[in-house]
Amino acid sequence: MDRVADQLGSLVVYLDGSVLSAEEISKKTLVLVDNFLIKETHSIFFKSLKDRGHILTFKSADDSTLTLFKYGELLYQNVILFSPKVEEFGGKISKKMILDFIDEGGNVLLATGSKPGVVLREIAVECGVEVDTPGSSQLGSLVIDHFNYDISDPSHTLIAVDAVNLIDASIIVGSRNVSPMLYKGIGLLVNNSNPLVLKLLSGYSTSYSFDPFANMDKSPNVMGKDTTLIAGVQTRNNARIVFSGSLDFFSNEAFISSVFKINDKEYPKSSNAEVSINLSKWVFKEIGVISVKSVFHYKLNERKTPMDYTITDMAVFEMELQQKIDDVWKPFSVKDLQLEFVRIDPFIRTNIPLVAEGKYKVIFKIPDVYGVFKFLVDYKRVGYTSVFNSTQVSVRPLKHTEYERFIQSAYPYYVGAFSMMVGVFLFSFVFLHADLDKDKAD
Amino acid sequence: MWENIIDNPTGWKKLIIFVILLLAWIAGFSSRLFAVIRFESIIHEFDPWFNYRATAYMVEHGFYKFLNWFDERAWYPLGRIVGGTVYPGLMITSGSIHYILHSLNIPIHIRDICVFLAPVFSGFTSIATYFLTKELWSEGAGLFAACFIAIVPGYISRSVAGSYDNEGIAIFALQFTYYLWVKSVSTGSVLWSTLTALSYFYMVSAWGGYVFITNLIPLHVFVLLLMGRYSHRLFVSYTVFYILGLVMSMQIPFVGFQPIRTSEHMAALGVFALMIIVAALKYISSKITKAEFTFLFKLGMVVAATTVFLIVVILTYSGVVAPWSGRFYSLWDTTYAKIHIPIIASVSEHQPTTWFSFFFDLHMLVSMFPVGLWYCLKDLTDTRVFVVLYVISAVYFAGVMVRLMLTLTPVVCVLSGIAFSLIFDCHMKEEDTICKEIDAEIEKKKTVEKVKSSRKSRSSDIQRNDANIDSLGVNFKCIVIVSAVLILMLFAAHCTWVTSNAYSSPSIVLASHSSDGSRQILDDFREAYFWLSRNTDSNARIMSWWDYGYQIAGMANRTTLVDNNTWNNSHIALVGKAMASTESEAYNIMTSLDVDYVLIIFGGVIGYSGDDINKFLWMVRIAEGEHPKDIREGDYFTERGEFRVDSEGSPVLLNCLMYKLSYYNFGELKLDFRSPPGYDRTRNAVIGNKNFQLTYLEEAYTTEHWLVRIYRVKKPEEFNRPRVPVSNRKISIPHTFVSKKTANKKKGLIRDKPVKRKVQTMNS
Repeated sequence: MDRVADQLGSLVVYLDGSVLSAEEISKKTLVLVDNFLIKETHSIFFKSLKDRGHILTFKSADDSTLTLFKYGELLYQNVILFSPKVEEFGGKISKKMILDFIDEGGNVLLATGSKPGVVLREIAVECGVEVDTPGSSQLGSLVIDHFNYDISDPSHTLIAVDAVNLIDASIIVGSRNVSPMLYKGIGLLVNNSNPLVLKLLSGYSTSYSFDPFANMDKSPNVMGKDTTLIAGVQTRNNARIVFSGSLDFFSNEAFISSVFKINDKEYPKSSNAEVSINLSKWVFKEIGVISVKSVFHYKLNERKTPMDYTITDMAVFEMELQQKIDDVWKPFSVKDLQLEFVRIDPFIRTNIPLVAEGKYKVIFKIPDVYGVFKFLVDYKRVGYTSVFNSTQVSVRPLKHTEYERFIQSAYPYYVGAFSMMVGVFLFSFVFLHADLDKDKAD
Repeated sequence: MWENIIDNPTGWKKLIIFVILLLAWIAGFSSRLFAVIRFESIIHEFDPWFNYRATAYMVEHGFYKFLNWFDERAWYPLGRIVGGTVYPGLMITSGSIHYILHSLNIPIHIRDICVFLAPVFSGFTSIATYFLTKELWSEGAGLFAACFIAIVPGYISRSVAGSYDNEGIAIFALQFTYYLWVKSVSTGSVLWSTLTALSYFYMVSAWGGYVFITNLIPLHVFVLLLMGRYSHRLFVSYTVFYILGLVMSMQIPFVGFQPIRTSEHMAALGVFALMIIVAALKYISSKITKAEFTFLFKLGMVVAATTVFLIVVILTYSGVVAPWSGRFYSLWDTTYAKIHIPIIASVSEHQPTTWFSFFFDLHMLVSMFPVGLWYCLKDLTDTRVFVVLYVISAVYFAGVMVRLMLTLTPVVCVLSGIAFSLIFDCHMKEEDTICKEIDAEIEKKKTVEKVKSSRKSRSSDIQRNDANIDSLGVNFKCIVIVSAVLILMLFAAHCTWVTSNAYSSPSIVLASHSSDGSRQILDDFREAYFWLSRNTDSNARIMSWWDYGYQIAGMANRTTLVDNNTWNNSHIALVGKAMASTESEAYNIMTSLDVDYVLIIFGGVIGYSGDDINKFLWMVRIAEGEHPKDIREGDYFTERGEFRVDSEGSPVLLNCLMYKLSYYNFGELKLDFRSPPGYDRTRNAVIGNKNFQLTYLEEAYTTEHWLVRIYRVKKPEEFNRPRVPVSNRKISIPHTFVSKKTANKKKGLIRDKPVKRKVQTMNS
């Protein structure tokens, strides 16, 4: 019975009769474009997605039938918003629906151009990323850098970004030892105090975002090291979002063109393709997904999870972690996994050593403090989904039968008690049999 | 044969005594049933809920499981060792009753035993009081005392049906111990003092008030020694009682080593040592001359007293003997608790007693007991010294703390019983018979006194003076008797009225009278607790002020952070701090304590004055005691030092968590046509902070009369996306775009969208 229920649970039945497994849904991707030409201009990017098994559904962003949910369930696992000019989505999709989609665990890849619509900027700001204002001109704002531009562009808006400007997390962006990338788009701004937002690709100290043809009558909103070109967010429910200020970054043109950065040599091919594909793998959760396979704790030498622990027991905590690689769960092995034994404050914080592939085990002595404790594993690493596992256990004091029967310091009392008993016994004999009248006679 | 029985005056006397005691029991039992008849068979108030829960646990799991019970659902995440922090006498008593009844195949639910335990024990109390008074004075006085204690409100307040608390059985144990003690002093038998110790053991197992016994009995012995009334009877009864009582009291896990390690118990030890020294001196005195002895005696007394005192002082300072606990300090210095231990001062029953509550709880007894005291003093014996000391100490303590009215009540009943018995003795007897009897009595007493002690009895003169009263006229006697009877009737009426109106509310079910006189039941507390038990996870942790901890655990069966067993002040202070902080600060505390729900009591809609806002200053004070940097009491007052919830109230108060949770959405509520929206009936003010939203909490449930409000604390995961707050935004987003969408099926809008144009054919 259980097995049947499991299978039913993993299937979603649609009204039209088609049945999709959970795995297929995780590959369903909606692409919203403002112009179907994008399908052609970005075909390399889309092809790589298709090759990795994604089922792409192209729709115009103003399509009146658009929706992301059906009966409260996600219709797609991923959404690509390649529609920088959209002012209002068609159908049921709105800012709120996209945010709900993220809160339900859906992933979003959003790319804007030089003149992003208000709705895109609002979505970004709700996720912790600010998009520069497009200004009033026809062209909009672009990131300008007079020291790091591709020489093919006289307006200095086609920036050649070195790979060292990528975030130091190979799981997200791949190798940082590649040729520069080409970027032409608006600047983003990320609040540094926000721990969930990552600056995936940042600009230079000489970069700023502004309308290239306007007078510099005010200070740019986005400038210097704050200039972010591509930002990523992994929300607390492990949904992933990538914001790119440039739609062209993913275009065929950028993928295949060569780079001739000013004051640098010419590279035959930009690394836009590699970075984009790595980014898309990360944002659509093809890599960097780890989860807890099993948690098991018991008293040493018992192999059975107890009702509660007693103070100063030896406890064993075992955990298995797994990682999703090519849609298959494989053991996940790291050396920096930590366990905390918490009652308001952690009483014990210890490394959990790896004992086998993906298996962790630690033996520790429960502190001499009673109360309700938690075995807490909170593993957060950049690029990986966060692992948070909390198991509540009670630690009870000794029972009345568990104390030591005879303790050394009490020997004087034992001696006292027994000598008293003997004394009374002897005294009773004296009292009963001694001839007391004799004294009286005297 | 029948004639014999009828003529047998002792037989009649016994029968009358038996019938009166039985009637007293029945009257006492019945008058305690108001709550059950008006409401239902339900456990009352706060502490009884814990006692009930513990009893049910013991009945279900057995005594040893109970002894080792570690309750992880209380004081989360600290837990509470229930077996070691509870006086188990109450649970054992009702558990054994349950066991006996079940072994007799009487299937009664443990809850009913708990509900009716206190009324049943009130009957035992009156019997114990009868014996005590009989031992002190006479059987007639005993019957009066038994009847008084059966219905006196001061005792009923703690023993109505459903008030399943330690005091319910402890007053019986108290009276019975005193009876046995008095008996053992007057007989000097080892048997009686062993029984005293056993009864004392029961008292220790039942109530923390046993300390009263451990200090009163040594005081009695000490005063007797000072009065030169040392006797072998006293020596035997005290030494046997002390040693056995000490050893037995240490068997209660909660008491443990306290009897030899805390200051409260040191007096008993000191008097024990003194007793031994005095006995030794007496022995020496029989061997040496009188002059030598007086010197030795005085020297010995001084040396012994100073040695004992010094030892206690040294041990206290070196930490072996714990100093007096805060509750005891507050007995000497009534302002002590208010300054140093707000948690004790915050309990209403720890406040000093107002004068009218003496009258309210004791009625005419409060004016009659000095009469009994006067007669006891006039005709002093070893045992009457005891009752004198008892009443003096009890009056003092009752004046300090409302709660200790309970210890005063029995002795007041005893003394008033003596007083009334004397009045009726003197005024009801025929003249000639009295004279004879009294003379005979005096003679008897004289001989008894002579036998008892070598000291000259002064009582004969006094008794003769008393006899003079009997020469008063018949009319005068009639007036006195009629007025005494009237007073007694008034007393009975008062007792019934007080019981019915003041002490029979279960306090978890409130009753109110509507304008047409019909009774309305406000069952909000149980509604809320039932909601919790049905709609929350069974491991959900509920934060509330400690008053409601036991009820949540007992009725909703959910984990609580703090409860009425206020053993950990800092944990309570943490909850107080959360309530007194702003929402975001409170959220940090609540997440660190894994709080799932917050429960508060709000009386603003129905005008219930015991709600959390009225208790709020205590929360602030307790929190300030532990976190003086974060919480300051002064911040919650206006500049003129007022505690106001209206718009003139201090901004700290108007933005703290407790305020927001109490008044969430209250600003829109219009209670009736006369008052403006947001009018708080309890504090008679329109609230000052009306339109606010909660960020970290959401309203989960509010009961019918808004009495209990439950909020769910949002989990950190619910703050899923790191929104850039409007105030932190560096780039403003213009809101120029106006949606033209009217339905979900409409098309959207894309700027500069290439428009398909119909190609005009050349042919047309």
